[in-house]
Amino acid sequence: MGGERLKIVLSLTPPLLIIITLFFGGIFYGFLQSLGYQPAIGKYELNFSAYYNVMFSERYAKLFWSGLALNLWVSFASTFLAAVFALFGALAIRKTFVGKTLCKFIYSLNLPMPHLVVAVGMIFVFSQSGLLARLAAQIGMISSPGDFPVLVRDKYGFGIILAYIWKEAAFFFIILMSVLQSLGENFEELAQSLGANRWQRFRYVILPLVMPNLFSASIIVFAFSFGAYEVPALLGVIYPQMLPVMAFEFFLNPDLNARSEGMALSIIIALIVMILVVFYFWLTQAKIRKD
Amino acid sequence: MSELKIENLVKNFQGMDRPAVNNVNLDINSGQLVAFLGPSGCGKTTILKMITGLFQPDNGNITLDNESLLPIPTEKRGVVMVFQNYLLFPYMNVNENVGFALKMKGVDKNTIDQRVKEMLDLVKLPDIGLRKPKQLSGGQQQRVALARALIASPRLLLLDEPLSNLDAHLRDEMRELILTIQQKLNVTTIFVTHDQEEAVLLADKIALIFDGELQNFTSPKNYYEKPKNIKAAKFFGGVNFINADLVDNKIQSEIGFCEYQGDNISDLNKKLFLTIRPENIKISKNNEFDHNSYQGKITSVIFSGTHTRYKINVNNVHLECSLQSVGIDNIKEADQVFVHLPKDKIWGMND
Ligand SMILES: Nc1ncnc2c1ncn2[C@@H]1O[C@H](COP(=O)(O)OP(=O)(O)OP(=O)(O)O)[C@@H](O)[C@H]1O
Ligand SMILES: [Mg+2]
Repeated sequence: MGGERLKIVLSLTPPLLIIITLFFGGIFYGFLQSLGYQPAIGKYELNFSAYYNVMFSERYAKLFWSGLALNLWVSFASTFLAAVFALFGALAIRKTFVGKTLCKFIYSLNLPMPHLVVAVGMIFVFSQSGLLARLAAQIGMISSPGDFPVLVRDKYGFGIILAYIWKEAAFFFIILMSVLQSLGENFEELAQSLGANRWQRFRYVILPLVMPNLFSASIIVFAFSFGAYEVPALLGVIYPQMLPVMAFEFFLNPDLNARSEGMALSIIIALIVMILVVFYFWLTQAKIRKD
Repeated sequence: MSELKIENLVKNFQGMDRPAVNNVNLDINSGQLVAFLGPSGCGKTTILKMITGLFQPDNGNITLDNESLLPIPTEKRGVVMVFQNYLLFPYMNVNENVGFALKMKGVDKNTIDQRVKEMLDLVKLPDIGLRKPKQLSGGQQQRVALARALIASPRLLLLDEPLSNLDAHLRDEMRELILTIQQKLNVTTIFVTHDQEEAVLLADKIALIFDGELQNFTSPKNYYEKPKNIKAAKFFGGVNFINADLVDNKIQSEIGFCEYQGDNISDLNKKLFLTIRPENIKISKNNEFDHNSYQGKITSVIFSGTHTRYKINVNNVHLECSLQSVGIDNIKEADQVFVHLPKDKIWGMND
C-alpha cells in the first residue's frame, strides 16, 4: 500500500514541480515585482508604493477608479446580456430544426473565432465609418455617417460590450442548448398539466433548472471579460480605460519603474476575479450543503 | 363529476408507417378507474398526452362533460398527468412540490400549506415536507407525485405507468393506495400499464390497445371469459383455440359438434374460433359428462403447487387444462381421458 502510494507521488512529482515552478513561481515573481523588487535596475527594497500609486496617486487614481468602474460595468453588462440573449434564443429555437443547425453553425464558426477578429468585425460594422452607418446614411435615416451614434470607441464601452455579447452569447447558447436538450420537455409538460402558464413555466421550471449551469458559465465569462485585453484595446477609448489596457500601457512604458505599477495593477485584477470566483464557490457550496 | 368521451381519435407521427393512435373511441363514466393496457409502443402515452393537450390529435374529438377539450390549453383543462418517472422538481422540497398547482393558481400561502398537509396525509407521508426529492425512496417519490397531482382537485387524473418503476412489494402497496384514494376522492382516473395482472387488479374497465387500435373496452372479467379476438385472449393468458364452422346456427368444430350458449352467436362468422379458459375445462377417465365431451390423450402433467396443468391432445388439437391439485384422481401422462368443455364457458370469436 504505502509503497504504491509513494510510487504514485514520486511519478507525479516532476510534472507537478514544473507546474508549481512555472505557475506559482511566475505569480510569486510578479508579486515581488509589484512590491518594487527589480534587481535589473538595482531596486531591492519591498513596499506597497506601486499599489498606492496605481490606486491613490494624483496621477493614476482617476484613471484607475474610472477604469475599475468601466471594467465592472462592461463585464457585468456583457455577461448578463449575453446570458439573457442566449437563454431566450435557445428557448425560442430549441424545438426547431433551425435551432439545431444554428447551434452547430455557431459551434463550428463563432466559438473558435478569436476575440480580436470579432473586435475588428465590430469596427467594420458598428463604427461611424462602418457598414451600418453608411447604410443608414444611404437610405436617409441619418444625413451623414458621422451622425451615427458612437457605438465603437465610446466612453461607455458599448462597442466592447457588443463584441463580448456577440462572442459570449454563442458560448452561453451552446451550453444552454445542451442543458435544455438533456432536460427534455417533461418537466415543462408536467408543470403545464399542473396549471402553469407559459410565464410560470419559464419562471418556476426552466429558470431554476438551467440556473446552476447558467451561473457557472457566467462566472467563466465574467472572469474572462474582466481580465481580457485585446477587445477593449481595440474598441475602447483613452479615458476611461479598462484596467487590463491600463496595465498593458504600464508595461509598454520605457521607464522600467512603471513595471511595478503594471504588475501591481495586474495583481489587483487577478485578486478581484479570484474574490468573485471564491464568492461563487462559497455560494454554490453553501447551497449544496443546504440541500 | 367528469365523463370523458373520446371519438375517432387519430394521431400520426412522422416516420411511422401506421398511425400511432388509430380511430380510438371510448366512453369513460364519471368516477371510473380505467386501465389503458397494451404492449410498449402501442400508443398509450400518446392518447394520454392528447387528453392533456400536450399533443393535438390529427382527427377526432375529446369531450369532458360534453364540452370539447381540444380548444382549451393544457393548463386550463383541469386534467393532470402523473408521468412515468415521477418528475419531482429537484430544486423544490416536498411541500413546494405538492403545493405547485395551487401556487400557479395564485392561492394564498396559508391555504396552500393546509392543503399540502392534507394531501401528504392522504398519501400517508406526513412529516417529510421539508425533504428534497433526492432524499426520498422511489415509492415515496411516487406518492409525492400523486399528492402533487391531486391537490388541485383535477377533473381527470391520468397516471402513466404509475407502478412500473417500483419493485414488487412496493407495487402492491402503491396499488392499494391508488385504489383507496381513487375511491375516496371519486376522481375519474385513467392509468396506463403493460401488465394485464395490474390492470385486472385495479381497473373497473380495461381498454386493450394494440398498434394504436383499440381492441376492446370492457370489464376485466370479460377479457377472461368473453375475449374479442385471439390476440386479446392471448394477452390475458388464453391458450386454448379451436377452429370451428357455424352451420345453421350450430357450431361444428375440429374436435366435434359443440353446444354453445354465448350471447354473441348472431355476430359470429361462418369461420370462427372457440376458446375456453384452462381452469374451466374438466377431465375425467370416465365418460361422465352429458354434453361437449371429447376423447383425448394426456401429453404432459405439470404440478405447480395448488394447481396441476394438463396438456391434452384431442383430435390433434392441443388443449390445456388447469385443475386444483387436491382431490383429483391420479391422471397420468399418456392416459386416455374424456375432456369436457362446458357450454356456458366456451366462447366464440371471429378472429
Ligand atoms: N413525439 C413523438 N414523435 C414521434 N413519434 C412518437 C412521439 N411520441 C411517440 N411516438 C411514437 O408513437 C408510438 C406510440 O408511442 P407511445 O409513447 O404512445 O407508446 P406507449 O404505448 O406509451 O409505450 P410504452 O409502454 O413504451 O410507454 C411509438 O411508436 C413511438 O415511437
Ligand atoms: Mg408510454
